[in-house]
Amino acid sequence: MSARPAPSVGVIGGGFWGVALALAASRTGAEVLLFSRREHPQINDGPRIVRDHAEVARARLLVIAVPSNAARTALRALGDHMDGSHLVIHGVRGLEGEALKTVSDLVREETPARRVGALGGPIQEDELREGRPSAMVCGSRFPEVHAAVTAAFQSDGLRVYTTPDLQGLEWASALVGCLAVGVGFAEQAGAGPGLLAALISRAVDGAARIAAAAGAEERTMLGLGGYGDLLASIRLESRPEVILGKALARGRTLDEAVAEARLRVEAIPLIPRVVAFARARKVDGGVFEALETILQGGAPRTVLDRMFAA
Amino acid sequence: MDSRAPIFGFNDARDEIVRTVVDRVLGATRDPLLAMNEAAYQEAKRLEGSRKPQDVRELTEWQRLARSLGRMHDAERRRRLRELAEEYAWDIAGNFDPRVYQLSSRLLPPVVSALLAPRKLVTVVRDPRKLISLELLADRVLVQGPLAKLRSLVQRGTAVYVPTHLSNMDSIVFGYALERAGLPPATYGAGKNLFTNPVLSFFMHNLGAYRVDRRIRHNLYKDVLKTYSGVLLERGYHSLFFPGGTRSRSGGIERKLKLGLVGSAFEAYTRTLLSGRERRIFFVPATINYLITLEAETLIADFLSEAGKGRFIIEDDESSRIGRIASFLRKLLAMNAAVVIRFSEPLDPFGNRVDELGRSFDARGREVDPASYVKNQDGAAVVDAARDVQYARELGEEICRAYARDTVVMATHVVAAASFARLRSHAPAADLFTVLRQRDVLTVPRDDLAADVMALCERLRALEQKGCIVLGEDVRLGSGGDIVERALRAFAGYHSSPVLDSRPDGIAICDTNLLFYYQNRLAAHGVAWDVIAPPGVPSGLQVQPPLPPRPPSSLPPPLDDRGAASSRGGAAGARAGSMNGAGGGR
Repeated sequence: MSARPAPSVGVIGGGFWGVALALAASRTGAEVLLFSRREHPQINDGPRIVRDHAEVARARLLVIAVPSNAARTALRALGDHMDGSHLVIHGVRGLEGEALKTVSDLVREETPARRVGALGGPIQEDELREGRPSAMVCGSRFPEVHAAVTAAFQSDGLRVYTTPDLQGLEWASALVGCLAVGVGFAEQAGAGPGLLAALISRAVDGAARIAAAAGAEERTMLGLGGYGDLLASIRLESRPEVILGKALARGRTLDEAVAEARLRVEAIPLIPRVVAFARARKVDGGVFEALETILQGGAPRTVLDRMFAA
Repeated sequence: MDSRAPIFGFNDARDEIVRTVVDRVLGATRDPLLAMNEAAYQEAKRLEGSRKPQDVRELTEWQRLARSLGRMHDAERRRRLRELAEEYAWDIAGNFDPRVYQLSSRLLPPVVSALLAPRKLVTVVRDPRKLISLELLADRVLVQGPLAKLRSLVQRGTAVYVPTHLSNMDSIVFGYALERAGLPPATYGAGKNLFTNPVLSFFMHNLGAYRVDRRIRHNLYKDVLKTYSGVLLERGYHSLFFPGGTRSRSGGIERKLKLGLVGSAFEAYTRTLLSGRERRIFFVPATINYLITLEAETLIADFLSEAGKGRFIIEDDESSRIGRIASFLRKLLAMNAAVVIRFSEPLDPFGNRVDELGRSFDARGREVDPASYVKNQDGAAVVDAARDVQYARELGEEICRAYARDTVVMATHVVAAASFARLRSHAPAADLFTVLRQRDVLTVPRDDLAADVMALCERLRALEQKGCIVLGEDVRLGSGGDIVERALRAFAGYHSSPVLDSRPDGIAICDTNLLFYYQNRLAAHGVAWDVIAPPGVPSGLQVQPPLPPRPPSSLPPPLDDRGAASSRGGAAGARAGSMNGAGGGR
């Protein structure tokens, strides 16, 4: 045993989410290592910044917080320093490639870890960073992962709910990212509360069936990790997907709208792939076809017709 | 043959094994009252309808126990629980006689001969060697896969063979394959009904089998069984499980497994770590492929009948009729490569690939210590049932992928798929039963059927290129016409009514049920109609190609890594691997 106790949480990724997660874990008293290539002058106590994968892998609970297109590379580099005793969770919203692989699939492909999980739910980055009360969901088939995540993150202000349906949570997070574009679009196009509620409920229902076709449980999409997450987008002006949807409703082209959102919107490449997936599995993909119409610059009336046809 | 394999010392160790099993089961049972209540309830339910004197007696005993449980003191309950567990453990523990084993492991050939000429049975028992026709059988039954690697692994750890399950012949055929591959024998849990089967019981008692009574459904029995298999693994007994749980009714390869016994490996491995004597466990998936299946008629009828859904045990199928077995074997002996046993690449319990030295490597080829998977956050190895259920589930998925990749396609499968596709296009948009009702209504010109077969073979070849399936020699080399011919020969004379009938105007499609059965072998690959996907598994699931061969890692290169047991680099490499086998290549 070394004199210093082994660090308990390693966070990979120095973006908004990585920093917020590192701060939240640090607040519960965990010893936190934050792997980041950036400078973080605002972090002066709590998380310790490290530049080396070997260093961050000394923690047994690893939290991946990188954009989905960077996940594979990050995991491969990290995997060189891991073994089967690591618990790996991620807060990445997105599904990879044509095969729509979840990030936990990537963890299994790129690292020796098997005890994997994901974070999701309605919690927002600023709530997490500032320690304001909120709730998140941890999905994993391994009770050990639930226990470790709860120990590392749960506090008076932050409730960690758990589900064994890891795949359901990952699909829910990714699909909600797509649906949030629709929420922004509908709000900007002048949908009233009744219509908005109807659209959201129909959309969540459709998304649940698609997730079920991928092997998830329908109820996960209908719960905190899906429905709950989507509700949080209603009043959110800052969410990139919402900004994108609003810009499109104002008649902006997709490129202009992306520029307005300023962050990578994972939903843009994902929506057509979900449409193709639904078609291949013979489930109703009407909601996502409507979203595809939105991305292609469809007028609100056309989109609405498409939605109600579903 | 390695006579140091632990199974040869089984009789000496049996007392101790049973004692360990009983102690562990008792230690793990928190509430004896609950356990015995549940057992009594399940047993009473099972025995109620029966009129057999033995069953009536047992029922009375269970009812008496159930009534008195409430009044018992805790110590008394524990005592009764111990008695029950002991009874079950002894019932399960088979009788293994190494002398008989030496005989019976070589028994398939003589018994084959004996069944063809039953009057000579006396001679067989007196001197089995007289009738051995090993050379003949070697052409009929092929054994493929990374055999050299497996021979190396069984010296270094405990092998758990997990083959597909189609027929009651499987355990015998598989035992024979182990012998042929130069691998030590394995114990396995055979359904107790097989011990009463007049033909098969002869082998069952002597092949190292232990008895599993599948009629008993309560948890106490399941705990004893699982603990028993775990203790055997812990002590290094190579084991054989059929994780499909029962013979595939549809004829399809398993896509969902029963993982109870597979799960016992995780605790067994952890316990070897805790005792300071690590003994690694290697899972070896395998496919057992038949040109024709002994019990095909009964199995598919069972699959198709609604009533059949609850029928887990069939006691009166073809495998209990000597005449059927004889004609099955006559067929088998008349056709080359009629049975192919194909071992897959071995895996560690956590789904990692292993090399011939027994080291584990993750998907990217990094060596990983399997012990790390059972360690907790403080770095200590711990037994954790909730965790192991998940490992078992993931291993089960991995095993199913191996099944799909190592499925060996034979002429009967392809021809059945081609014929069935014809039936479907004859009744477009019809449901399964409508398609099946078209018995003897369709005759396909020979050349057309041969062309359909060729087209299917092209698709299968493309799949094989990707490593997603294996073509049998007949399918690989034959023309469409040859393949149709071979399938006709295989079907004719074994199945009780004609499957396909050769007529002047072409091939008549007769027994649609059996064609459905044989085409189902290719359903998971998307090459045949897939209406048999188990609930929760998307139909026509894309079979995943194998991982690319391990990239050279930055670690010091392992000794003789690319040695005799070639890692599976596409189909060509796999075929080369089979050449190492005792009888794989020709």
